[in-house]
Amino acid sequence: MSIALLPLFHFLFGVASLIWKKGGKRLFYLALVIDSAIIASLAQHLLHQTSISIVLGGWGRDIGIELVADRVTLAFSILAVLLGFAVVTYLWRDHLRGYFHLLLHLLFGSVFAMLVAHDLFNIYVVMELLTLVSSLLIGYRRKPQQIWASLNYLMLAALGMGVYLFGVAIIYYHTGTINMTLLADRLVGAQGQGWLIAAAILLVAGIAIKAGIFVFSLWLPAAHATAHSAVSALLSGLVIKMGIVALLRLSLVIDMQLPLLVLGAVTGLLGALYAAYTYDLKRMLAFHTMSQVGYMLIGIGVGSELAIIGSVAYAVGHGLFKGLLFLTSGEVVRTTGSKLIPEQISLREHIPRATRVALTIGTLAIMGAPPLAGFCAKCLIAEESAALLLQVLLGVISLGTVVSFAKLLPFFVYHRAPVGPRPITISFSILGMAIVGFLPLSFSFVPRSQWMAELNPYQAAEGMAIIAIGIITYRLIRKHPPALSQHIFRLEEAILVILAALIGLFALHVAF
Amino acid sequence: MRTSKLAQTTAALVLVACACAIIAFGFSYRGPLDRPNPYLSRATTDTGATNLVAGIYLDYRLYDSLFELLVFSVAVLGVRFYLGTTRQSPNTKAIPESQAVRASADLLFSPILLIGVYLILFGHLSPGGGFSGGAVAGTGLLLCAVALGAETVARRFHSTQLELFEWGALFVVLLLVLIPLIFGLSPFTDLLPRGAPGELLSGGTLLIYNVLIGIKVFVGTWVVISTFIRHRGEI
Amino acid sequence: MEMINGVTVAVVLFGIGLLGLIIRRDLVIKLLALGLVDSSVTLALVSLDARQDALTPIWQGAGLAYVDPLPHALVLAAIVINFALLALALVFVMLLVERYHTTDSHRIAHEIGRETEE
Repeated sequence: MSIALLPLFHFLFGVASLIWKKGGKRLFYLALVIDSAIIASLAQHLLHQTSISIVLGGWGRDIGIELVADRVTLAFSILAVLLGFAVVTYLWRDHLRGYFHLLLHLLFGSVFAMLVAHDLFNIYVVMELLTLVSSLLIGYRRKPQQIWASLNYLMLAALGMGVYLFGVAIIYYHTGTINMTLLADRLVGAQGQGWLIAAAILLVAGIAIKAGIFVFSLWLPAAHATAHSAVSALLSGLVIKMGIVALLRLSLVIDMQLPLLVLGAVTGLLGALYAAYTYDLKRMLAFHTMSQVGYMLIGIGVGSELAIIGSVAYAVGHGLFKGLLFLTSGEVVRTTGSKLIPEQISLREHIPRATRVALTIGTLAIMGAPPLAGFCAKCLIAEESAALLLQVLLGVISLGTVVSFAKLLPFFVYHRAPVGPRPITISFSILGMAIVGFLPLSFSFVPRSQWMAELNPYQAAEGMAIIAIGIITYRLIRKHPPALSQHIFRLEEAILVILAALIGLFALHVAF
Repeated sequence: MRTSKLAQTTAALVLVACACAIIAFGFSYRGPLDRPNPYLSRATTDTGATNLVAGIYLDYRLYDSLFELLVFSVAVLGVRFYLGTTRQSPNTKAIPESQAVRASADLLFSPILLIGVYLILFGHLSPGGGFSGGAVAGTGLLLCAVALGAETVARRFHSTQLELFEWGALFVVLLLVLIPLIFGLSPFTDLLPRGAPGELLSGGTLLIYNVLIGIKVFVGTWVVISTFIRHRGEI
Repeated sequence: MEMINGVTVAVVLFGIGLLGLIIRRDLVIKLLALGLVDSSVTLALVSLDARQDALTPIWQGAGLAYVDPLPHALVLAAIVINFALLALALVFVMLLVERYHTTDSHRIAHEIGRETEE
């Protein structure tokens, strides 16, 4: 019974923080502590079994809602709690209303609910709640840009969920169930049939709009760039991962290797391309998130157990360092007064020491420098991708990452740096320590033997080499920006691109 | 890369047509289903409600309905948060409608409110339930506002009392779901006796959930409508 | 299965709504189109098991044929959620219209693009 408590507690606390307005921060810390306790007990249960499954209400699987907690749940729960502590500490000095705390609680509650969901319609409902809460958080300051970004997001997400429901309808029509365990049984003989391909593409398209996949999530750069930094940190670090989790669960039931690989490749490359030539700090981080999502999708697309573990590990690591980067970007923008990187670099002596250190750690981690978070997980995925094409692809995407972040290098040079506010320093250190200590942290959800088998000095050398090549490439290409279309980010063109992608994926899948 | 209007329209037509074709293709004929429906045989005996759909969304799949309720509540909160700061429309005393509309609203709002209450209370016996009943009652209140004047109705439903009802109902629903879980009791609806199907007092906790959801949706719908009335805005 | 049934109508409506969402510039019309899209999904779900010879799922005795009640329950949730999202989207539209004095989405996007560049 305990796993159902995770989301429900957060909802209860959320409503409570609306009624007890003064106690918002305290309630949130209390909720996070309770979460940690539940997660610890979950980890202990999972030592002996691969997953825990309950059906709420004690009914059978075919009539009730099933909840499943496994290692994936554990991994992302740890990420959620860490990000939660970091974000609340970051916002310590801001006076936020009870409404904001309610939204935060609902966000975390729905994240936890998504992590245990095992039922197609439950995923739909949780995703809708995530959409709603995210869009309210994006538009929190009521500036016109934020409201416009929120509105775009809302419309695209609603459309996406409509498409998703069509997929659910098709699957229910042909199999008579929406529970994933039962579906796995009933779909055994049906893989590769026309209706299943159609349904799979619809489901993937629906979730992809929320998951930050490039072609589908064209609302993402605007939303992340205009939202408050803590909100962007949560969105990029946590909410997008929920789309990945949903796709992961689906891919275990329906064979969707080809769409995932194609989407992963396209997203990874295009995201990196756009990120390399964007000079607005937060917008660049947003594009880069899309690129990293491509990386994770390739891992899921490969499909072997180690590759999936690698993807999950990478997703958790990415959540940590992208969260950290977004939080630091908030500080950078606040202290230098500018959104553009060249100006921020010229004003960098205003940036506090803790922010600089955090920025360094985050950037190094994202570039894949061993032994930080990024490196470890990249190893796993790289090892598992046997095909040469995939290896090259992954290498190019990693290169793209380094190129995009090479422009942040001048920040690392230290002159005098002022000391920043205490809560922010604490918040950064929480995430920073988690990133540096990622390896031992991940032992909770990845068996130690598997890690040790994959990490070796060869990979480390490869990682460093990519970083070096990337920095050189950056110096070479930075003067020659290609003509990247900015028009696809408007709503109509975005929808057209989504439709084209949907049809293209379907055609591709049918052809092979 | 500004595309012309014609190109965009043709592209849209082609793409939308293809997408619809894909969806329609997914529904291709499947043949008769060989599995009996798992709900039909046991729903009434399990839940005590004659309305099988109510049995599903208030008992077997109560978890989903919880999320649905949360989505609704947050949307209402969002509406009030965003529109609360805009300029209030100068003329809120009477919603500008013709005399005929106002007279018929005067006649109709009490039966409609009653129908809303009926839908909520009998939701487990016939089509209806908390959500639809609450929405009907909320729009009945809108008719009341048209008839008597928005200010009068708003004054009667003072804002802080409303908020208490709204979130109090949600809090109680969450507690009702959470507490059996903490103590390890399984079926949600075991808190109250099931009664004979077909009676009003049947269905165990189904009735309570319906009433709580009905209150929440009623207050929520009224808040949304009254906020829209008050902050009408102009172009 | 007849050619014209709930599902085909739903797909056609979905197409119309989607077209409206893309082609029309007015924000309020876009919201209407979105509502149409949502309604079409509702229709598709409900008509999955709609038959002439089966009763609505209110229990009237054993041995009778009933329509599948599960899609109805799913649709209830979907309707409420879509209503909530539409209400919020309408609020956003109202705020934007009040600020920019137009309901034309292209003009608003243009203005916002101009403001972000300053």
